[in-house]
Amino acid sequence: MVQPVWGEWWPMQDGQPTGWKRRDFMGAAALVALALGLPTAAVAFTELDEKDAPTSHQRTLMKEVSQLVIPRSATPGAGEVGAGDFAILVLAHGLENSRKPVKDTAAYARFLRNDGSVRHVAWLERELDLRAGGDFLGADATRRAALLGALDAEAFASRASESPWKAIKALIVTGYYTSEPGGSEELRYEPVPGRFDPDLPLKPGDRAISNDWTAVDFG
Amino acid sequence: MQFDAIVVGSGITGGWAAKELTQAGLKVLMIERGREIVHGEYETELKAPWEMPFRGVGDAALYAREYQVQSQNRHFNEYTQGHFVNDKDNPYTTAPGSEFNWLRSYQLGGRSLTWGRQTYRWSDYDFGANKRDGNGTDWPIRYADLAPWYDKVEEFIGVSGAAEGLPQLPDGKFQPPMALNVVEQHVRKEIAGKFGRCMTIGRTANMTVAKPEEGRAECQNRSICARGCSFGAYFSTQSSTLPAAKATGNLTVVTDAVVEKLDYDPKTNRVTGVRYINTKDGSRGAATARLVFLNASAFNSVHLMLNSRNDAMPRGLANSSGVLGTQIMDHPSTLSTIALFPQFNDRTTFGNRPTGVVVARYRNMDAMDGVGHSRGYSFQGGALQSNWGAGKREAGIGTALKDKLHSPGMWRMVLVAFADCVPRDSNRLTLDAAKTDRFGIPQLQIQFAFGKEEQAALAQAKADAAEMLTSAGGTVIMGMDQPGTGGMAIHEMGGARMGHDPKTSVLNKWSQAHDVPNLFVTDGAQMASSACQNPSLTYMALTARACDAAVKMLREGKI
Repeated sequence: MVQPVWGEWWPMQDGQPTGWKRRDFMGAAALVALALGLPTAAVAFTELDEKDAPTSHQRTLMKEVSQLVIPRSATPGAGEVGAGDFAILVLAHGLENSRKPVKDTAAYARFLRNDGSVRHVAWLERELDLRAGGDFLGADATRRAALLGALDAEAFASRASESPWKAIKALIVTGYYTSEPGGSEELRYEPVPGRFDPDLPLKPGDRAISNDWTAVDFG
Repeated sequence: MQFDAIVVGSGITGGWAAKELTQAGLKVLMIERGREIVHGEYETELKAPWEMPFRGVGDAALYAREYQVQSQNRHFNEYTQGHFVNDKDNPYTTAPGSEFNWLRSYQLGGRSLTWGRQTYRWSDYDFGANKRDGNGTDWPIRYADLAPWYDKVEEFIGVSGAAEGLPQLPDGKFQPPMALNVVEQHVRKEIAGKFGRCMTIGRTANMTVAKPEEGRAECQNRSICARGCSFGAYFSTQSSTLPAAKATGNLTVVTDAVVEKLDYDPKTNRVTGVRYINTKDGSRGAATARLVFLNASAFNSVHLMLNSRNDAMPRGLANSSGVLGTQIMDHPSTLSTIALFPQFNDRTTFGNRPTGVVVARYRNMDAMDGVGHSRGYSFQGGALQSNWGAGKREAGIGTALKDKLHSPGMWRMVLVAFADCVPRDSNRLTLDAAKTDRFGIPQLQIQFAFGKEEQAALAQAKADAAEMLTSAGGTVIMGMDQPGTGGMAIHEMGGARMGHDPKTSVLNKWSQAHDVPNLFVTDGAQMASSACQNPSLTYMALTARACDAAVKMLREGKI
């Protein structure tokens, strides 16, 4: 398995995160840019609010939640491939409309930014602890899955729901299937198909193609 | 710098003008405001999502700051963002009450790198539309005038498609068609049998047969065209017209130079050349020529003519009619229906086909059967299976979710309507009275709204689409009947329309300015109506035709 790029973006010390300092982050980003052969200018980061910098606990939580959403099977789970870190970063950047103001400001008052959007990770951290009646991460695995499953079912029960979980989940899923293990081991990655077969039998267990971008957009 | 001809812009029509004029022996300057992009050196083309800083989906914070308009395009993402303009650096204004998303690509090759590649002939239903219902002004040409030029363009650029014998969507010089998938094959049969309507594979400028003599390979079914294709399998300036023009030895290309004005000599009643600004250092330059072709894209060509106003032509270059800037159009478009086809869930496909299907127009042809509108609409879309993207929008976590997303999901078919846009004087371009860009050039102001006809067409399209897919065994889950914001079809056109009468049009039937004989405008600005087909092929055919006419006039000493 290739080391997930996203994991490398985080400042670590003795295997532990040291917190999010923008200076470190920019430095790491520049290194990644060089490694990928990209112009550094292409990695243009926004000024990240200090309050969007995840705590060590939040990173651990997002890793665990990612792993619950997509667990290990014959292939790695989403937490293992860095989907939690990916989600934290792109939630702060605004993917999946995560920087749009919420309508129900009262419900999310303690998590609101000045722009009216919700700090998704902080919300999730508190929401899961509330549901667990204590430290969510301290609950056993079965209970963690049940608590998150209930949260997920409630969020998707109505189209109108503006639960922050919808964006968090979407970005965990995106983070997983755009990682090398998710995109090319769990699913098939076919950069140059070379042909189009219009009608083939589909058997149970056949792997989907991760880079069918029309399906990602419309499916 | 002195040339025989100057071509302003290097996109779909600029490339064609450069090719045709250089092949006729003229010394040509092609001047492009954006940066150079070299064929085969497409920076992101071969990268996997995990090799991209933001996994291919991009930096939403950056887009919110600098690409607010461009990021509305479905094909805009981290891979392709370098092929779209930075909105912050390239401002325009909209009139009070107007909304318009102006989607642009300022670079060598322009939007030929990012276009949707759908390639359709127009018919006499289209060229005769204004005359028939009285909107706009009559086209001075008909299908027969353009047919040989369609042939020429299609054969050169490489278009795959199926001949269907439809008068409203004339067949072209096609390479073998791409295949309909299993669901599309079924729906094609059903709607042909039940409605007598034709659903065919998209006619697309993606080649199914290589052109080794031009260094172009057949399509690899990646469907990542807008990143740039080093196989040269789709038509772009870089893959096709630019190498042909360069091979003549008659072409000079200048990039990073935005043309500010055309120079006009009232004594000879000719344009004499262009003045431009180097976008890197702000320095100014000029070039002269006997002919000028404007191919800067519909709105930018009009912008340039408005900004080239002079003492003799205070309302804008070649604007004695006063209609320059008016009757701009874009196709009203909406997602008319999505229907599920679970009965095909034991079938699948392989490969990313870079085109969808098209349902040819059937309304308001020989019988006026449109409800509340007098023109046509057509559908584009296709059948597809969901994949992991569905997991973003549905309940479920854990092994059950992972197992579900492991295999291709539910088949669904999508039909997106594109309708005619009525030419209206109220939809127009002007120079903003107060705001300028970073070079001090007045910004373009866009005034635009769709009207009742467009709303009515899309309402009827929604009902038709649901009826067709339901009758084909699909289960409709949603549909829309309101057009998106103007500009979203990226078919903005008009503003310097062709017409018979110099009093009511800007260009004659040769795409030549009525007022200024050595000025030709051969991009989307010349369009007098919109049809409901994608317009790029028609722009190219009109460009080739205009080049031929211009060269003859030049040789005969008429201009």
